[in-house]
Amino acid sequence: MASVANPSFPDYSTQAPTQHMFSPYADNGGSVVAIAGDDFVIIGADTRLSAGFSIYTREQNKLFRLSDNTVLGCAGCWCDTLTLTRILKARMQMYEQEHNKTMSTTAAAQMLSTMLYYKRFFPYYISNILVGLDNEGKGCVYSYDPIGHCERASYRAGGSAGALLQPLLDNQIGLKNMQNVTNKTVTLDRALAVVKDVFISAAERDIYTGDKIMIIIITKNGIKEDSFDLRKD
Amino acid sequence: MESTTIEKIVEVDKHIGCAVSGLMADSRTMIDRARVECQNHWFVYNESMSVESCAQATIAIQFGDSDDDGAAMSRPFGVAILFAGIDEKGPQLYHMDPSGTFVEFDAKAIGSGSEGAQQSLQEMYHRSMTLSEATTAALTILKQVMEEKLNSSNVEVMTMTPTNFFHMFTKEQVEEALKLVAIQEQSKGDLRSIVSTAEVMSIK
Repeated sequence: MASVANPSFPDYSTQAPTQHMFSPYADNGGSVVAIAGDDFVIIGADTRLSAGFSIYTREQNKLFRLSDNTVLGCAGCWCDTLTLTRILKARMQMYEQEHNKTMSTTAAAQMLSTMLYYKRFFPYYISNILVGLDNEGKGCVYSYDPIGHCERASYRAGGSAGALLQPLLDNQIGLKNMQNVTNKTVTLDRALAVVKDVFISAAERDIYTGDKIMIIIITKNGIKEDSFDLRKD
Repeated sequence: MESTTIEKIVEVDKHIGCAVSGLMADSRTMIDRARVECQNHWFVYNESMSVESCAQATIAIQFGDSDDDGAAMSRPFGVAILFAGIDEKGPQLYHMDPSGTFVEFDAKAIGSGSEGAQQSLQEMYHRSMTLSEATTAALTILKQVMEEKLNSSNVEVMTMTPTNFFHMFTKEQVEEALKLVAIQEQSKGDLRSIVSTAEVMSIK
């Protein structure tokens, strides 16, 4: 159904039905990659915030510290990210005050799932990846779709270059389609190197990913932050 | 009267049980709330609710904090409740009085015979009691303070343990436990037991 009635040109108005559009979402791009090990978890996100061919900023952090051992990475509609993370921050504090303890990563993972599902019919348009250490101290990665489906994995790529990077991680971290490999658990050094490598690759092919990556590493000793430059074109 | 219709020890969740005394009708409302809060906590956080949080959430009903239960309270609930449960801190026992104040205990008695029972608990209880010793101690005390004679149809026994969680004694198990009480009374052996068992007994 073509829109033929234009209020600016009354001469051209017709009796034909007019289509009205409501587009409340923006895609601000960005990618998130996370890898979990036996006693650590690492999450990286690029810092480019864009809309189509224009860049809003080259230094937008997309990693949110929910607690001393839980971090959330968000890519997609930035305004939704702002709202979701503010509500999450409030919920983390309410939990702490109600139950006299910090919310565990597993609890935060389930809470995020229910929060997303509660907006089942007007979802937050965000690709979420939540990481942390579980109750046994093992690294864990939870990935979500916009309406709250939640899956625990050991590595995950999300956001604008998610589909580009996931097969690369499957190969390099999951050791899929490889011959003569022994199934070794990933070390922190290896995970950090892979995160940097995959983002370099993403910046080459995905225009919504680039500028810089922020990296957060969680171990039993706490949170460490790092950054790494990507191409800026 | 059908004795099984009176139920003073109830399951709130697998890991939390309650013993109530006072206005039974009021206790139904509060237990209902406790159960809903526990399930909601599991639904949202995928973890079992701590015993303290459960007690806190249960008393919140008195003050009409939720939209659907109407606003102001008309009168306090006329019940004392013992919350016995296992959470990440281990075995926990909380006592809540009709004012809504709740306090953690190692051993606690509530109800009409509570003064005498509490006194006896104070003498008998110590931290290294085994489960069966605690069960025997609780029943012994109950026997002392009860007007009726103790039998398998006028007493309920529940144990809350890290392995089996909420376990209500069957009629046979109660009889077995009562036998132990009788034997022990004759031999006057010393008593020992695990934290929160002595409190989850109630007179039926």
